[in-house]
Amino acid sequence: MAADFNEVYDVVVIGAGHAGCEAALAAARMGMSTALYTMNADLIAQMSCNPAIGGIAKGHIVREIDGLGGVMGQVIDRVGIQFRLLNSSRGPAVWSPRAQADKQGYRVEMRRVLERQSGLRIKQAEVVAILREAGRVTGLELRDGRRVRAHAVILTTGTFLNGLIHIGENRYSAGRSGETPSIPLAESVKSTGFEWGRMKTGTPPRLDGRTIDFGSLEEQKGDARPTPFSFETVAITQPQVSCFITYTNETAHQIIRDNMNRSPLYSGQIQGIGPRYCPSFEDKVVKFPDKVRHQLFLEPEGLTTNEIYVNGLSTSMPADVQMRLVHAIPGLENAEVIRPGYAIEYDFVQPTELHPTLETKRVEGLYHAGQINGTTGYEEAACQGLIAGINAALKAQGKPAFVLERDQAYIGILIDDLVTKGTNEPYRMFTSRAEFRLHLRIDNADQRLTPLGRQIGLVSETAFNRYRAKQERLERLMSHLNQVRVQVEAGKISAAQALKRPEIKIEAFLESAPDELREQLSWEESKAVETSIK
Amino acid sequence: MPTLIEDTIAAISTPLGKSGLGVIRLSGKDSRRIALSLFSSPRKDLQDRVPVLGNLFEPSTGDVIDQAVVTYFQAPRSFTREDLVEISCHGSPVILKGVLGLALEAGARLASPGEFTLRAFLRGRIDLVQAEAIRDLIEAQTLFQVKVAQEQATGSISRRVRPVKEQLVQLIALLEAGIDFAEDDVSVLAEGEIGRRLSDIEAGLVPLRASFALGRIVNSGLSIALAGRPNVGKSSVFNALLQEERAIVTEIPGTTRDVVSETTQIQGIPVRLMDTAGIREANDRVEQLGIDRSMEALADADRVLFIVDGSEPWTALDAEILDRLEGRSYLLVVNKLDLEQQIDEGSLRIGAKTVCRVSAKTGQGIDDLRRALFKEYGLLEGHAGLVTNVRHEQLIYGALLALSKSQNSLINGMPHEVILLDLYAALKALNALTGETTVEDILGNIFSTFCIGK
Repeated sequence: MAADFNEVYDVVVIGAGHAGCEAALAAARMGMSTALYTMNADLIAQMSCNPAIGGIAKGHIVREIDGLGGVMGQVIDRVGIQFRLLNSSRGPAVWSPRAQADKQGYRVEMRRVLERQSGLRIKQAEVVAILREAGRVTGLELRDGRRVRAHAVILTTGTFLNGLIHIGENRYSAGRSGETPSIPLAESVKSTGFEWGRMKTGTPPRLDGRTIDFGSLEEQKGDARPTPFSFETVAITQPQVSCFITYTNETAHQIIRDNMNRSPLYSGQIQGIGPRYCPSFEDKVVKFPDKVRHQLFLEPEGLTTNEIYVNGLSTSMPADVQMRLVHAIPGLENAEVIRPGYAIEYDFVQPTELHPTLETKRVEGLYHAGQINGTTGYEEAACQGLIAGINAALKAQGKPAFVLERDQAYIGILIDDLVTKGTNEPYRMFTSRAEFRLHLRIDNADQRLTPLGRQIGLVSETAFNRYRAKQERLERLMSHLNQVRVQVEAGKISAAQALKRPEIKIEAFLESAPDELREQLSWEESKAVETSIK
Repeated sequence: MPTLIEDTIAAISTPLGKSGLGVIRLSGKDSRRIALSLFSSPRKDLQDRVPVLGNLFEPSTGDVIDQAVVTYFQAPRSFTREDLVEISCHGSPVILKGVLGLALEAGARLASPGEFTLRAFLRGRIDLVQAEAIRDLIEAQTLFQVKVAQEQATGSISRRVRPVKEQLVQLIALLEAGIDFAEDDVSVLAEGEIGRRLSDIEAGLVPLRASFALGRIVNSGLSIALAGRPNVGKSSVFNALLQEERAIVTEIPGTTRDVVSETTQIQGIPVRLMDTAGIREANDRVEQLGIDRSMEALADADRVLFIVDGSEPWTALDAEILDRLEGRSYLLVVNKLDLEQQIDEGSLRIGAKTVCRVSAKTGQGIDDLRRALFKEYGLLEGHAGLVTNVRHEQLIYGALLALSKSQNSLINGMPHEVILLDLYAALKALNALTGETTVEDILGNIFSTFCIGK
């Protein structure tokens, strides 16, 4: 039987997006011989939509990925060009990091990480079929007829399954703009009998930054003290840049209204369901007719390019309408459009077809992660890839499955929601989905998950030692705060007790800490102690 | 929505006794097939909501058992939202059991008690409060109970709770939007505005909870003790109150003390009247004992009617009873209005109390007394959406407690995610009354309120 196969692996991952990269790395780090198949090895970890990682709830997920032993946090920390801690005026439970990424830098850095991983091979080929026998996956077949044997297959197809791009009246099959779709593979997936559907997502036009009048626009700088995603990151050292804010106006809205008959969204050409929280600009104009302006963020796509991403202007209007639309917007009057925006429809499989390990119920050894499960977002995809990779490895090792509960991590909430309720629109994480929101914070993601990551063999010994050293620092600071006495109206109390008052901050007591402890503690670590006391 | 209820159930829906008519009911996807396997008519078929006259027969022999009217209700337009058949035949236990047996042989399963209502609930046809109201309706003993239960069965409580809950959901959505969409163009509520909205929501729930004072006695009834010295006419008042009111069968749980008691209904409320008549020996010592025992009986009563004789001067015994009633809820009844009034009003310590002047002998003032019995429960102010069930009252109370905690958090400057914890606790309580509002509904509210989407 092995003679039928050209190559043999423990785990094969199809698709090298954000889910695929985490899946492949996790499996390989857990000792599996792993192959990562992509249609284009130059576009590994491509950020197909906005050039940013994190955001509210998503930043929590990246921290959790990092705590478990995933890589997304480390990669963005090395290539982030603007860091902001969102919701910092609120309570620490809803603080969440976000960073603009150097898009090309992200790809390059992720590929570097993958290439350095022993036991992991990168393969460029189109997978046309998932092979199975008696309800169990056996491997996959490539376009050129080669067959690859695998104990487990992790399917992360993103928007490629029967991808169909719409720009105005034009539509054509594509995986992403300029990339070929996966059509035979879609047939193979459907032949399994999965309940499937169509979803839709969209992107905005990208502009040439040299043709934008930034001087007339509101500047948005990053935080003076960048908050990294990874617990491993010591400092953010690369240059930081600004984003800019502009607003649409009545003229822009009228251009949309005048051309509604050419919108594939409103002509019935697009059937798939798009996300309510990331509507196209057409939707914004139609559904909120009273809103006189909509906010747009101009985000740089990298340090080595002038390309600017117009966040908030997702559209599938014809290219000529997009040009007029862009030119109606203050600051963009003379802007050159490098790439028009577009909408894409793709197949997804109802996630109720999955076990909480992300293994499919119908085919043993087959795992689904990312957009194929009806989710949206790089972070949502990455954490699913991580969980699928971990479980594929654990199963091959004959070890118990790894499932996070809703009170342990946002990742647990995401997967529980998906596999128990299914979804009919692209699923995105919000902190409001968390019943235990006050507990699921970014500052304790390592405490919540790193010991678990170590237990399953994903967190290395070196990394775990660093984690333990940090915990010791936190404990030393805590015991220091318990010893130091401070004078308040009612008499002397410990610093720890004093910190329970909302108006008292940790900075008031750091001076008194032993020098060597104070030098080792990061700002965020001392804040974490403050949060845990409060 | 996936569901586990796949089979077809059957039961006799009328009491098993000899009567003109009896009804057998079937619910589930095979109801129509099962009915047609034992029923023949010239029409040959059963159409949605068309009663058909025909014969029930035994399928194995073809023997006709009874003539019947069979009505088919096609899903989802039926009580259970499933295919449902009602077989109305003669009310003979033999026929009913026989037909039920045939239905079971044809593939139906004998329904558990309340299972038709359970299915209506599981299929979302009615909410839990409505299901409870249907039970109350069937168990009602007075017409007033029927009215209240009927209103609840058609959703009167949900109708009162829903607008308040919508306000709560709207507030939750606004606070959540401020947290989850801080990057978007979302306007955040001022703290003062949050407090004002919280107060509005509380104000919507307070009257609902207050209605339980009356609602409780609608179903559980009220026990009323008649107190007073011998010969003031307690028994006459007792009998006057009982007059013309139909006695009801079931006893309201109460004491078995040495008192005369009678159960009746007054204004549709089940009432247990307790009279201390019979304890009236002339002997001083025994008299004292009688009063003691009367007082014990009074301790169990919800209300006390303190009866005095208007035609005689105030006595020391009257005063002693009145002393013992201090702190209790009692209604002062001055009896023997038909005779010349001699009582000294000043000794009655009336204050703000309601005084009923009656003549048990002529019936004068008795109707006013009946009304006065329930005045403090607000019976006269209407009964739409009355809360009668202690579970519902506790849920509303729970919601109010949570709302008051959230007000405190707000005053103490806690962040919104902390305030939201209590708002979700309040929502959970209201969900149990009206059906669930999920995170998806809250997100839907956010996306229809704000143009989200960076």
